[in-house]
Amino acid sequence: MAELANIKKDDDSMPIFPINRGYIKRKKFYNGIAVFFAVMAFIIGAFPVFHIIYKAVALGHKYLNWRFISTLPTGFPIGAQGGILNAIIGDVYLIVIASIFAIPLGIGSGLYLSLFGKKRTNTFLRLLNELMIGIPSVVWGIVGFYVFSTNAGLGFHFGFSALAGGLTLGFIMTPIIALLTEQAVNQIPAGYIEGALAMGATKWQATKSVIMKAALGGIFTGILLGIMNIIGQTAPLLFTNYYNTGLPTGITGPGGAVGDLAMLIFIYIHEPSRILHIKAEAASVVLLFFIFAVDLGLRLINYLTRKFL
Amino acid sequence: MAEQNEIKVEVKNLNFYYGNYHLLKNINLYFKRNSVCTLLGPSGCGKSTFLRTLNRMNDYTEGAKLTGEVLIDGKNIYDKSVDVVELRRNIGMVFQSPNPFPKSIFDNIAFGLKIHGIKNREFIVERVEKCLKYAGLYDEVKDKLHKSAFSLSGGQQQRLCIARAIATNPSILLMDEPTAYLDPASASIILDLITTFKKYYTIIIVSHNIQQAGRISDYSGFFLDGELIEFDEAGNFFTRPKDKRTENFITSRY
Repeated sequence: MAELANIKKDDDSMPIFPINRGYIKRKKFYNGIAVFFAVMAFIIGAFPVFHIIYKAVALGHKYLNWRFISTLPTGFPIGAQGGILNAIIGDVYLIVIASIFAIPLGIGSGLYLSLFGKKRTNTFLRLLNELMIGIPSVVWGIVGFYVFSTNAGLGFHFGFSALAGGLTLGFIMTPIIALLTEQAVNQIPAGYIEGALAMGATKWQATKSVIMKAALGGIFTGILLGIMNIIGQTAPLLFTNYYNTGLPTGITGPGGAVGDLAMLIFIYIHEPSRILHIKAEAASVVLLFFIFAVDLGLRLINYLTRKFL
Repeated sequence: MAEQNEIKVEVKNLNFYYGNYHLLKNINLYFKRNSVCTLLGPSGCGKSTFLRTLNRMNDYTEGAKLTGEVLIDGKNIYDKSVDVVELRRNIGMVFQSPNPFPKSIFDNIAFGLKIHGIKNREFIVERVEKCLKYAGLYDEVKDKLHKSAFSLSGGQQQRLCIARAIATNPSILLMDEPTAYLDPASASIILDLITTFKKYYTIIIVSHNIQQAGRISDYSGFFLDGELIEFDEAGNFFTRPKDKRTENFITSRY
């Protein structure tokens, strides 16, 4: 090549290397291919979501009104008239119960894994935690059934109720929060922790006032993912709460069961009734909005706590 | 050997192991009360590890093992009866990179008081002010005490860390390359601070920077591969080193 001729053999200066024009063309081509695949992957991934929303809105749009989400189901078969208030209220019950159980437990486990435990036991516990995330929800349903609903387990016998269902959903939420908490704490600069310890803080003092605050964003993501995950669950509720067409009178025993959007969709789709099928489609749109609202709400809380704490 | 009551910290036959590595090999030295001592040495020679054995920061390192004694005011800090929390209250530490907490300037210093159970608001306010004045930072930050500590420059952050370290009323200050990441002007301010702090504290500094060390030290030590090669008064250390390796180092041949 022409450029190569410029290089003198016994010269001390930095040799100039020849510019490979073919390679520059090739690398631009590969870059184009990579971008193309990334865009395609996004479209293929996003398409089903938009399709589901479109289908559900197209079918269920005539029920998407205030009456639908503010009245209880009535008529025959039940739900043919009225709305889905029972399921929305029930979801609030389940989320609150699951969160009360899972958030402290998950954050505690995550902190233990990242700060307090021994290295070797932690490797085992981390594996266990990942395994728990992978356990199918129907298995959690059976576990919840034995532990909380029947007389056979630890003596709770809450029956088919919001408490039994919520705690079972809490089982699903806990390892997710634990994982995200651990990762969030591990990303905190070591200087925060060392700085606090060097001043004579105990590990708990350092955790409480320095680490938790720095890790808050990650912990919130964990809570968010946990709640997103349980909102759509039906299998754990089949054995622990099932479904209530009215409002609960308590959270345990008879009358303690609650409605749930995912269960409502599951049940309505199984009924031989055209109206219920359409209402199930409308309910799925409501469920999507419900998830969206919870997401926004938690993000807002996250933003506000970061700003004002 | 100096007179007994002049000695603040005495290290006897200190060995430190991490797994199979013998990181500190039979270290013997003492630090005099109200003096500035710099520990020099190339990277990885164990000088930071040594500094961290003085306030037991290595306690949480898994696989670490230590033999020997570190006596502070005549008492072995590795004795079972010693309370680590109380020990660390008595020893302030400043780290290499400024590490203020993600809190306000005020809370960064107040934290040190709160963790030791001080709740009196007036006392805390007064103390925070005093610490900032000691660290020469008060005039620069007095109007924004409740702003985030991250709004300060690197040099100011490091002085905040110094203010934080003296909040708990320590008698010893450990500094791990406190000027390593600072610009020369900020570094110079901190070096001046160290010289004035001698009245109140026994100061032990780990440093890379021979010139800075020469400017502030009363005593100097040279570490190499986990061994203390030489320890002497700064005058002798920098002008007439006894060991060839020390001479090579201070004339920058490492």
